[in-house]
Amino acid sequence: MAFLLHDARDLERRSYEIVTPERRRAARRLWRVDLLQAAAVATVAIAVALFLADGGVAGITDLAGALTASGIVAGLIATDLVLVMLVLAARVPLIERAVGQDAAMGLHRKLGKPVLYLLLAHTVFLVAGYAVADGSGLVGEIVSLWNTPDIPLAVLGLGLFIAVVVTSLVAVRRRFRYEVWHGIHLLVYGAVLAALPHQFSLGGLFAEGTWQRWYWLLLTIAAFAAVVVYRFGMPVYRSLRHRLVVEAVEPVGPIADGVVSIRLRGDDLERLGATGGQFFVWRFLTRGQWWQAHPYSLSAAPRGGSLRITVRALGRGSAGLASIRPGTRVALEGPYGIFSEASRSRSRLVLVAAGIGVTPIRSLLESARFRPGEATVLLRTRSADEGWLLHEIGELCRARGATLITIPGARGAGWLSADAERQGLSLVQFAPAVVDSDVYVCGPLGWSEAVVAEARAAGLRPEQIHHERFDW
Amino acid sequence: MRARAFVIASAASAAALLAGWQLGNAVTGPAATVASSGGTSTTGSGTDASAGTSSGSTTSGGTTGASSTPSTDTTDSGSTTDQAAASGAADGTYAGATIGTRFGDVRVQVTISGGAISDVTALQLTDHDGRSVSISNRAAPILRDEVLQAQSTSVSFVGGATYTSAAYLQSLQAALDAAGF
Repeated sequence: MAFLLHDARDLERRSYEIVTPERRRAARRLWRVDLLQAAAVATVAIAVALFLADGGVAGITDLAGALTASGIVAGLIATDLVLVMLVLAARVPLIERAVGQDAAMGLHRKLGKPVLYLLLAHTVFLVAGYAVADGSGLVGEIVSLWNTPDIPLAVLGLGLFIAVVVTSLVAVRRRFRYEVWHGIHLLVYGAVLAALPHQFSLGGLFAEGTWQRWYWLLLTIAAFAAVVVYRFGMPVYRSLRHRLVVEAVEPVGPIADGVVSIRLRGDDLERLGATGGQFFVWRFLTRGQWWQAHPYSLSAAPRGGSLRITVRALGRGSAGLASIRPGTRVALEGPYGIFSEASRSRSRLVLVAAGIGVTPIRSLLESARFRPGEATVLLRTRSADEGWLLHEIGELCRARGATLITIPGARGAGWLSADAERQGLSLVQFAPAVVDSDVYVCGPLGWSEAVVAEARAAGLRPEQIHHERFDW
Repeated sequence: MRARAFVIASAASAAALLAGWQLGNAVTGPAATVASSGGTSTTGSGTDASAGTSSGSTTSGGTTGASSTPSTDTTDSGSTTDQAAASGAADGTYAGATIGTRFGDVRVQVTISGGAISDVTALQLTDHDGRSVSISNRAAPILRDEVLQAQSTSVSFVGGATYTSAAYLQSLQAALDAAGF
């Protein structure tokens, strides 16, 4: 069953715009995405080209030469990809606005294991190649390499990198608290730095006086600069500049739900450039909380020196949030994500949320550009007229001319309730123009995937479907 | 990855690899001639480099060029004496041991004059391929300058030439030991 709480479908007027601003914006954004992806691939090609430019292929005359060359190329690609990973994780605004943190981190996650394999191949191939060239046997070669300057440091770097990748494997990662895992993950900066000296001292490719040496040095410096500036510098600067404090903590819905809205006040908040649907990483600076970083979406569009988030006691850290007192200072990182106007591609809008996933939907509904009749909000709620922030969303829908439908009831096989499924309801029936709409989905991972799958099946293109995951 | 991104990425990568390949061919060509001229060019450039840098110690006669004929007469007339002739080493030229590396053998010869190291000549440098030749040729003059300055083998390795540096200094140490320096 589904309940039509507000019907704005008949308000839609024919649009005479041939190319809507949303389509133009999406075209520009997709160009940026494509160019960024191409640039990432090109750096890998350049890393190999450095080897070729040094006449590396001429050295492949026998088995030892082939092994050595493979080892060097593996090391070059691996190091280049590690730098790409650093940049992906650095929250660089250019990348952030093009693909959003979620997609950038998705690629970052995918690269971890291949890079580890490449680093191991680099080690194995070079030891083998040198051993064959010297005729000194594997053990002798390892001993001789260990006594080579900068090699023990590089081995330490490899060890750190293995630790970072292994603790990030899904099965292993679940055993750690986020903060512990993240602490281990920060070792990667040590790993990259420890591996640096041997690249410049031992690798003839980057010998003093070569242009390759300059390129590699600049690439490394640029990657670290991006991390220092955007990952660490910006959050500290913004936290100090905007001096955010908790203004009020209000329960949302029944107290037993543990859902609270936290209103925050600060200086010059409009300078953050945040918009509805985006999220920040928050740290509440109290004795027991400061070390926990919480990614939460805005639940209201930022305005007038005030931000609001709505949170549910989900994770181990969130439970204490209800007891946060007004006046508590807050550090923030962000705004992050393109679950916002930044990723629009059509003039029509379908917002789909379940549970506490309603929060970014609520703020996006407030700041999104649409005309009456062009937006539809679909909410999986507890009952027909009861759900977190449902009252606020109802008011926004009435004020802005958006259709609001709630789908209450027990979970079915897909994203709908069991009885809505029995009735044969679907995305297309709720929003007949969904094929020519942007669909924003926020809710538990499995549920969201079901919505995304149905949207794809209905014929929506990838750039029309917006979904960001917030679990780490 | 979208089709357009794939096309751009492929084009950019192909361009980079092609440029690298072209540069690589250009590098390996001349490198072969460097290799054939052997150690002579090494010591030649070493003398050039030292003329400007090592504080008035050498008068740079360029006579150290002949790498194959160890000359016993001191090469530099005005060679340094302010480096206190503390060592009991007799003046003369001493060849070091041949040190094997995976890129070729390295052997150097040291000239002692007035109880100080007045010159170091490379008799043989890594020569396995064009790359190791060019790396050694770059490293040898730098090492020579550092040794003349430090008057010992405790000098830092040249970046990108760890093997050459290690073997060069090891061979030099053997020569100094032979000289009783």
